[in-house]
Amino acid sequence: MSTDSQATDHHAVRPQRLAVSGGSISYLSAGSGPPLLFLHGGAGAGVWHEAHAIWAREHRVIAPDHPGFAGSDELAEVEGVDDLVYHYLDVIEALELERPALVGASFGGWVAAELAVAAPDRFRALVLLSPVGLRIPEHPIADVFFMRPDQLAQALFADPARAPALTPDVDTVLAAYRDQTALARFTWSPFMSNPKLHRRLGRIAVPTLVLWPEQDRIVPRAHAERYAQLIPGAGLETIPDCGHALHLEQPQAVAHAVGRFLRGAD
Amino acid sequence: MKFTYFHLMPYPYLPPDFEERFSSPSLTFPNGYFDPALGVELYHRYLDELEYADQLGFDGIAVNEHHQTAYGLMPSPNIMAAALARRTSRAKLMVLGNAIAIREDPLRVAEEIAMLDHLSRGRVVSGFVRGIGWEYFAHSINPTRSRARFEEAHDLIIKAWTTREPFQWISPNYEFRYVNVWPRPLQEPHPPIYIPGAGSSETMRWVAEHRYSYMSVYAPVSVTKRWFDGYRNAAAELGYEPDPEKIVMSVPLYVAETDELAHAEARGHVEWLFHKGLKQGPEIIFPPGYMSASSMRGTLMSGMRGYAAMSYDDLLREGIVVAGSPDSVGEQLERLRDELGFGAMNLLMCIGDMPHERVVKNMELFASQVMPAFRESPPPATEPAPAPQQ
Repeated sequence: MSTDSQATDHHAVRPQRLAVSGGSISYLSAGSGPPLLFLHGGAGAGVWHEAHAIWAREHRVIAPDHPGFAGSDELAEVEGVDDLVYHYLDVIEALELERPALVGASFGGWVAAELAVAAPDRFRALVLLSPVGLRIPEHPIADVFFMRPDQLAQALFADPARAPALTPDVDTVLAAYRDQTALARFTWSPFMSNPKLHRRLGRIAVPTLVLWPEQDRIVPRAHAERYAQLIPGAGLETIPDCGHALHLEQPQAVAHAVGRFLRGAD
Repeated sequence: MKFTYFHLMPYPYLPPDFEERFSSPSLTFPNGYFDPALGVELYHRYLDELEYADQLGFDGIAVNEHHQTAYGLMPSPNIMAAALARRTSRAKLMVLGNAIAIREDPLRVAEEIAMLDHLSRGRVVSGFVRGIGWEYFAHSINPTRSRARFEEAHDLIIKAWTTREPFQWISPNYEFRYVNVWPRPLQEPHPPIYIPGAGSSETMRWVAEHRYSYMSVYAPVSVTKRWFDGYRNAAAELGYEPDPEKIVMSVPLYVAETDELAHAEARGHVEWLFHKGLKQGPEIIFPPGYMSASSMRGTLMSGMRGYAAMSYDDLLREGIVVAGSPDSVGEQLERLRDELGFGAMNLLMCIGDMPHERVVKNMELFASQVMPAFRESPPPATEPAPAPQQ
């Protein structure tokens, strides 16, 4: 178990490995307290972010890399989001997470919603940070696969100056291509969605908060609204001066909004 | 040496501000810019050129498949081949190729190629390609499944051509409970197979395993050499040396009366091809998962520049384009053949927005003044393949 000082220093948190069916995954973990499982989106895998460190002051935070992202093996048998649900049920069991709070960003928000649908008793609370996953043809999600890296940074951040600098060396480009490949495996078609998910969200029986950033140029607000409307009792909050990369662009505002919600969720 | 006359069938009538306004002629360039009155004339003109190549003595005439682009107007190459089948009599009818990985139903390709084989009385050569990156956007096919779909579709088509009774096909990407393709192809066991490669090491190995023809795409000579060596090495590891005629160099080529005239006449059209027709960013050429990690690393490390950054002179110097008088083109082809060890060439002679008269002159000069020398000489003695890599 990590100590408090490690929990607040981004550089002290070292990746750990967990053997799973078909290989192993990498995850970051620090802090103590009730467990918080964080599921990343298309961006941000493999990094202990400031928001993680803030949550780790009150929680045991576990941030795994999805199969094929950052430090995790590809796990070819995990072909779609349905397989990811079983994968994470296994991870939760292997790490002995007792009713974790589940926080998912963007693609990870979709996976989190599917997990809460499949196993509503296994979670204490659900937080969705501008999740994808719903098919709303009149409000299309931007095609992140069609963007150059510079265009993607422009689209992800309300203020692109807050985006991490692009380093176009071969290894960085290859790592980004690997992450994009893993994302495409799960989201290319149907694009970023499970066309059946909207009919199932009513099964979610845990306190739920949806956060939407005011300058989201990837996922239209209609998606956050639809989630909040279809999940019984869910709340919807807006984070100002923020783009789709919510916890990467406004880590303190996002981490504190989530922290307040989790303290009130018990 | 075998020579194929290859056509892309480009739509040359781009707006004057195309380069400033559009990132590519492919995928998102609006089809409102297609003028049907000009299009109808283009199809007939281009088919006339392919038929003329048959009359001039080219060994093959070739078409290919591209979607949602002004760069090539053949979403169905099989329709073009059908139009040529009964209007030509001698040249191989080469479909280079059908993009089987983006088709929902690969059996349709098996059926159409088999029909073409009969229409052409056994002259069909069947190319198979994965499809260019942007076609995975255009068809909503997951590019991370591209290679698996390609290999499964290929295996299914070959089995459909060579099995003489109904069978069931179940593979991860396709399920057909009744496969029983009528007609079977005329050629036994099936038409020859061509596979274009663009540096993927998986493709080289796969083509060598099946003993198919390996065809380059437009690239600097140094890069093409690495590809052909990779194919020969893969064959050597399997214990054989490929027939040079199964190593096929693709190149745009222009011949005129003198070097000066050739460059003056070719330059603008070559620039159209590489700066407008092939204008495309990496985001649409390499969608995620389309390339394996090792092939992507190879591509990034090869130092290949985008075509947009290459001038006409760069393209000539790198050997991506061949142009000149009959004598100098003949010398260039000999040099390329000796360096690369190929025994067949796939020539693009209607380059970019080149007008018909210029294309015809190019074809006639090539057929009468360049081709004969390569007919009389025996096939080149290729250097022994380099030792397999340990």
